[in-house]
Amino acid sequence: MANIATQRIKREFKEVIKSEEVAKCAIRVQLVDDNYTELKGEIAGPPDTPYEGGNFVLEIKVPETYPFNPPKVRFITKIWHPNISSVTGAICLDILKDQWAAAMTLRTVLLSLQALLSSAEPDDPQDAVVAKQYKDKLDMFEKTARHWTHVYAGGPCYNQEFADKIKRLEDMGVEENQARVALSSYNWDLERATEQLFSS
Amino acid sequence: MNFEEEYMYEDSGNETSGDDVDFGVEADGCSHTNIQAYEEEYQFEVLSTEAIVQHMIDCIRDVNTVVQIPSTTTRILLNYFNWDKEKLMERYYDGNQDDLFKEAHVINPFKKQTTPTKIKSSKKLSGTEECDICFMVLPPAEMTGLECGHRFCYQCWNEYLTTKVMEEGVGQTIACAAHNCPILVDDQTVMRLVKDNRVRFKYQHLITNSFVECNRLLRWCPSPDCTYAVKVTYVDSRPVQCTCGHTFCFACGENWHDPVRCTILRRWIKKCDDDSETSNWIAANTKECPKCNATIEKDGGCNHMICKNQSCKADFCWVCLGPWEPHGSSWYNCNRFDEDEAKAARNAQEKSRAKLQRYLFYCNRYMNHMQSLRFEHKLYRSIKDKMEEMQQHNMSWIEVQFLKKAVDILCECRQALMYTYVFAFYLKKTNQSVIFEDNQKDLETATEMLSEYLERDITQENLIDIKQKVQDKYRYCDGRRKALLEHVHEGYEKDWWQYSET
Ligand SMILES: [Zn+2]
Ligand SMILES: [Zn+2]
Ligand SMILES: [Zn+2]
Ligand SMILES: [Zn+2]
Repeated sequence: MANIATQRIKREFKEVIKSEEVAKCAIRVQLVDDNYTELKGEIAGPPDTPYEGGNFVLEIKVPETYPFNPPKVRFITKIWHPNISSVTGAICLDILKDQWAAAMTLRTVLLSLQALLSSAEPDDPQDAVVAKQYKDKLDMFEKTARHWTHVYAGGPCYNQEFADKIKRLEDMGVEENQARVALSSYNWDLERATEQLFSS
Repeated sequence: MNFEEEYMYEDSGNETSGDDVDFGVEADGCSHTNIQAYEEEYQFEVLSTEAIVQHMIDCIRDVNTVVQIPSTTTRILLNYFNWDKEKLMERYYDGNQDDLFKEAHVINPFKKQTTPTKIKSSKKLSGTEECDICFMVLPPAEMTGLECGHRFCYQCWNEYLTTKVMEEGVGQTIACAAHNCPILVDDQTVMRLVKDNRVRFKYQHLITNSFVECNRLLRWCPSPDCTYAVKVTYVDSRPVQCTCGHTFCFACGENWHDPVRCTILRRWIKKCDDDSETSNWIAANTKECPKCNATIEKDGGCNHMICKNQSCKADFCWVCLGPWEPHGSSWYNCNRFDEDEAKAARNAQEKSRAKLQRYLFYCNRYMNHMQSLRFEHKLYRSIKDKMEEMQQHNMSWIEVQFLKKAVDILCECRQALMYTYVFAFYLKKTNQSVIFEDNQKDLETATEMLSEYLERDITQENLIDIKQKVQDKYRYCDGRRKALLEHVHEGYEKDWWQYSET
């Protein structure tokens, strides 16, 4: 890896570790390999959001041309959010694309992602289904996002109704994650989710 | 020649013999000096890449003799105004200069002397600075930046600019590397900070390109792989010839398209590109079921059609498009052509069909000439052989040049003819349009004869006769072409031409 990129990442790594956000357990980074090309990031779900209490893991790939090009970041932990793909974890965020500047750091990226969890931008969606639910049925969206946070990110809120519906589909032979995606996409309407799952 | 006269024209191949008729329109005659003058007036210059760069420098210098600001700032301002010096001067003296610099994303050069550059680097240690990109702590001499005050180390600048130029292809509008700082990096700074010659070369190429593309008075030669640009003193729809030999319209960049105007040509090209025209073509050879609108092709002589759409199966008459039932036993001959119901159904289909056939008529002729024009390039080669042969028969090089001239004129005529069909397609019928169509017909007949002669007859005749005949033919063609163009131009001046929407 280019000299600048390595130097930068080493420094940034130290910077994050020493930062006050780490002290407050809000963000974290770990090395995945020795040559600093891949890192694992973690962010805590911000308070007063459906993500509260969850811990979200991120994959961070550092390109050869870093910091002149942005790092490639995606969510490993499954998450229900308008700007993050519920399938791939791909993120739609301007600073990870054309608004990236060389003077930004991993810390700014992690904090920006945390801010994204607090304030979604449904008009610039990555996941159209989630964005539509967010705009039309905010209440349903929040319940769904909280449920996902519980299941995948260790959040505290258990939802008996949702769990039952998933169980029903599992009994019909549908894989659990697939059942959750279908139900979430159809506002937990068991009938329509079933129809969608078995029609294709 | 217009659509309605098509068949009449095709029967009249022997109308003009062309050979010995003197129409008084000799190529070098003086009766058309006004056209000559019209064409000579337009001044243009072909610029090589080096000349473009020099021209860019001259433009900046011109402004700087009036406005006392750094030339690097001038370049950014000029680029912002698409290299229109007058517009820049106007804004510079009439408007708020602060706003002007801000809009163009440069620091006001008069402000920076009064306000000392503030060093924004956050963690400034005593006697050293930290680069916000690589985090190295360095002596100030190893750091640099623009007037916005954002400073980074030389190595980071080099990497940053290299990424912008090589990966993103940005030249004229590279902004400062700091987040959200809009201030643009000027060309001298780029050249000073970038070390790699490949990058410097690409950068220069990018700014030259944007200089030509932004500048109304410059246009790249559209010929593939040609690196010349043409410079004019004012924009007009006029032919310009590049050093590579390609002639094009300066205003729109298309091949020179006299007599049709740029706007009409653009409409035509768009129409031809439009896929819906192809689907219309299918419609011209089929009819739609009057009940369900499914497309039906007539496959036999019987006029009793049954829709192939299984859920429709409507019975109707091919001729009148009315329902079949009232036709009764008179299946062999539709006598219901004027029944209201049938009429309405027919009118709707006919309208679009007639429109389409009209389009196809003009399009076919346009394409024919375009294709022939391509073949004429082959003709240049066979003519060259002929010229060599003639030189072996005691004719001098000068004496055989008439053959090349003949092919030149043939190409010019074809090109003009090609565009007359675009012009005619949109033209509304008037007394003058009838004259135009006569001219078009004359030119077309003469051109086809010249073409035929050069392709075939020339090989069968003896060399001494050839010269006179060829010259007569091409002079006649050239005369007809000029007469046609002059008539159209006169019409532009006198507002004769009316266009339809089509
Ligand atoms: Zn640096
Ligand atoms: Zn700046
Ligand atoms: Zn050229
Ligand atoms: Zn034009």
